[in-house]
Amino acid sequence: MLKRCFSAVLLLFLLSVKAWTQSAISLDIDRIKRATVFIYQAESVNNDLVIKCVSSGTLVSADGLIISNAHSVLPSRLCAGDQLIVALNVDLSEPPIPKYRAEVFSADEGLDIAILRITRELDGRLIARSELPILPFAEISSSDDVSLDDTLIVAGFPDFGNEAVATTRGTVTAVISEPVGPRPSWFKTRAEIPGAMSGGGAYSSEGLLIGIPTSAPLVGLAAAASCRYFADTNRDGLVNASDSCVPIGDFVSTVRPISHARSLIRGVRNGLTVNLVSGPAEPPLPLNPPRVSRLFFAPSVSDGAPSTVVGSMPNNTNSLFFFFDYRNMTPETVYELRVSRDGIPDATFSLPPVRWSGRENGLWYIGSREQAWANGAYEFTLLINGTSVGSQRIIVGGSAVNRSQFSDIVFGTLDQSGALVGNGSILPLGEIASARFLYANMTLDSPWSAIWYFGGVEVARSADRWSDESHGAKVIRVAPTGGLLPGRYRLELYIDGALSATSDFIVSGRAAGPLPEIFSRLRYVTAESPSAARRATALSSFPTSIPALYALFDWHLIAAGTPWTLRWLVDDQVFFETTNPWQTVESGSDYTVSLANPADGSYKLQLLVNNLKLIEQEVIVGIGQLPIDRLARFEGAILSGKVIDAATGRGIPSITIVLIGADYTASEFDWREDQVYDLATSDRNGDFQFPRPLAFDTFYSVVIEADGFIPHAADEFYFSADQPYANIEIAMVHG
Amino acid sequence: MEFETGRTPAIQITPRQRWSIAITYFLLVAGFALGVNQRESTLNLASDYSNLEAGISAKYPARWLLEETGSFIFRVRDMAHRGFNTVIEVSAAPVGRDTSERNIFDLLTLRRSQVLTDYAVLGYDNYLLADDTLAVSMSYSFVARDSSPFLEGVSSIVNGLDILTIRRGQALVVSFRADADIYQRELETLRWFIQHLEF
Repeated sequence: MLKRCFSAVLLLFLLSVKAWTQSAISLDIDRIKRATVFIYQAESVNNDLVIKCVSSGTLVSADGLIISNAHSVLPSRLCAGDQLIVALNVDLSEPPIPKYRAEVFSADEGLDIAILRITRELDGRLIARSELPILPFAEISSSDDVSLDDTLIVAGFPDFGNEAVATTRGTVTAVISEPVGPRPSWFKTRAEIPGAMSGGGAYSSEGLLIGIPTSAPLVGLAAAASCRYFADTNRDGLVNASDSCVPIGDFVSTVRPISHARSLIRGVRNGLTVNLVSGPAEPPLPLNPPRVSRLFFAPSVSDGAPSTVVGSMPNNTNSLFFFFDYRNMTPETVYELRVSRDGIPDATFSLPPVRWSGRENGLWYIGSREQAWANGAYEFTLLINGTSVGSQRIIVGGSAVNRSQFSDIVFGTLDQSGALVGNGSILPLGEIASARFLYANMTLDSPWSAIWYFGGVEVARSADRWSDESHGAKVIRVAPTGGLLPGRYRLELYIDGALSATSDFIVSGRAAGPLPEIFSRLRYVTAESPSAARRATALSSFPTSIPALYALFDWHLIAAGTPWTLRWLVDDQVFFETTNPWQTVESGSDYTVSLANPADGSYKLQLLVNNLKLIEQEVIVGIGQLPIDRLARFEGAILSGKVIDAATGRGIPSITIVLIGADYTASEFDWREDQVYDLATSDRNGDFQFPRPLAFDTFYSVVIEADGFIPHAADEFYFSADQPYANIEIAMVHG
Repeated sequence: MEFETGRTPAIQITPRQRWSIAITYFLLVAGFALGVNQRESTLNLASDYSNLEAGISAKYPARWLLEETGSFIFRVRDMAHRGFNTVIEVSAAPVGRDTSERNIFDLLTLRRSQVLTDYAVLGYDNYLLADDTLAVSMSYSFVARDSSPFLEGVSSIVNGLDILTIRRGQALVVSFRADADIYQRELETLRWFIQHLEF
């Protein structure tokens, strides 16, 4: 019957396909722009919305996940809004139009990354994920392979929503490392990126998202900070400095690699919410202002520690790290590194104002490897919240000098044969800690000393004259009165009064082989509540749809303030990682962590100290594998077009166009949902667009039945990979 | 001046011609009747639906799109209508011993008011099912708009009617929605659908 019906009208189908081919790059630019959004953070005041902050953002999933900067979307003193409005690019040549509201689902203030999800229509109505139209999104790539001189395309909104989305091209001019998260920590670029583009997307030349352009505004922290007044927020009839302003960062030159956001995205995408049940609700903020001290340089880094301390570097230096101790830092602290060479600012190695991504106290470094440092006198000046807090100089150039030096300190305990055993940076409780270090170019009778610290307080000191060979390895040890207590220790080695090497180690846990036993009895249960979880029986697999998965473990001899890391993985991919100072009693049992509504998957909890994995345990939920997301990749052709009246040439609104999947032709279509690939409805101008991309090299059919018009059907729509966009015009004949 | 009056000579048709004319008229009428009949039968074609698991069978207008994945047992939509596609949706929900029809309507109202623009309940009434049992109904209205954020979608005022009956510990809800302009006309389709609905 259907065949007869359609065969009668097939010939009447007037269809012109104007598919055009675009180069891969221009295609990427178009998709990049479509995936870029503008975000207003606004505060509800007397039924009105007052804009507090703005930023660019990027859609990273078809169901409305957006990645942006945390500083402009999370409520804070600077951005006190409680609503997030998302504006989309309806027309790429026009400013964005507010369409939705969103909520922050996951964020890391220090890394300055937030993951938002569109949850409501602009008028506040809820939108279920299943009801949201398929949105254009950027595909995430690995940022691990990005290297110097690679092309960067940065997308965002250059102004306060007054201009269309823009892209800027540049290259990676520096790759900067810091001691947090995956490497590297930053890409530097000389592309001119306006501050409002912070939070947007940085793309590879293939159009894949590899980072987030990031800069932090210094409003309220520094006098010269940028802030725009553009609304009469106090209703006095004037727009002036009495109104609240919208802060904006300076030109952006840093890009946070997307690898830092992957775990956050993965967690939100799979609806995985981790709660540290036994953890403190909110760690107290430090009362004293941030401070830095002990600024020095090292040629390389090993396990977060400097290999050695240097005051100059020879010709052809390609690796240099700037170290300093820090105290009282918070995620809202904005730090900046200004580097000058021979008195001239050097943008390559400078770091513009960005949020602090470390802990409250510790040892930090900023540096780069595999990058040429031109000869000259460098001065590194560190600024905290816009104020200079310290500087250090280093000379690069000249021939290599065989100066005396200590390097590569590792810690452990001595076995019966006198060999150093252990993992290098964590020791169990005991009586004696030993350190082995390398020495080179030492001269007899030169003075050297070793100072041991515990919790920042000196506990032992030895000073002597060198009596060994010029090159080799040496072991020294410390036996504090009362033994090694749990906590952080530090060793500083000096030659002739100058710091030559330094490293930190942690004493924690019980002796149990190469790694101390700090955590034990890691197990999984499901229960109605945390208290019930502590009584429940541990299992290694659970059925689908459990309300919560609890992980419990015991801990031994961890001093307060010891940094430890909790990492969750699903299907061997990290979706949650947090490093915090230990904030409960030294030893105990049943530390509880919950995972709400876990999807089917293979989960693994890892506990780490000093980046050393101390314990891990796997558990299976349901079939042991995450559901496959059919829209995870944005690949295919975008089919759009216009439905017109054949008699008048005008667009016809409200016509439904049915796109039939590859397994059926139009004549075989019998109006079942499973045969439909996608639906589109023409708008008031007759324009339509199928939200779902069409797979390349696949045949599709189109069917239109509309009251007052002769039905249309056409088969064999086909798009090859070089036809990413197709625009068709369908002329309808009255009947 | 004289005029000559006269008559046009009568045309004499043969019996054979008379029969031909009669047959021609007959064929015209028969053809027209056949055409009308074909058109009506085409328009009134019905498709069958059955779901053994849910214990439901129904007929629905042919060439309406059948969907079975979602928060419903099944729904059918008239994709040919320009504007809001008329939809009939059948869903079921478990009910407790103390659950009343009004409780279910109130839950629907709360849920819909979160997601539908200008959702408003217009009233409640009784509805006679095909087996002469009495169900209850709730009529409502809201504004629908094409959801694509990239197009200038056209808004429609939609009227809806929920018909609810509780049987064997579960509530069966038939939800009917149509563009306000054609709502009254489309109610005929709903009545026809209800007549053929078995559960």
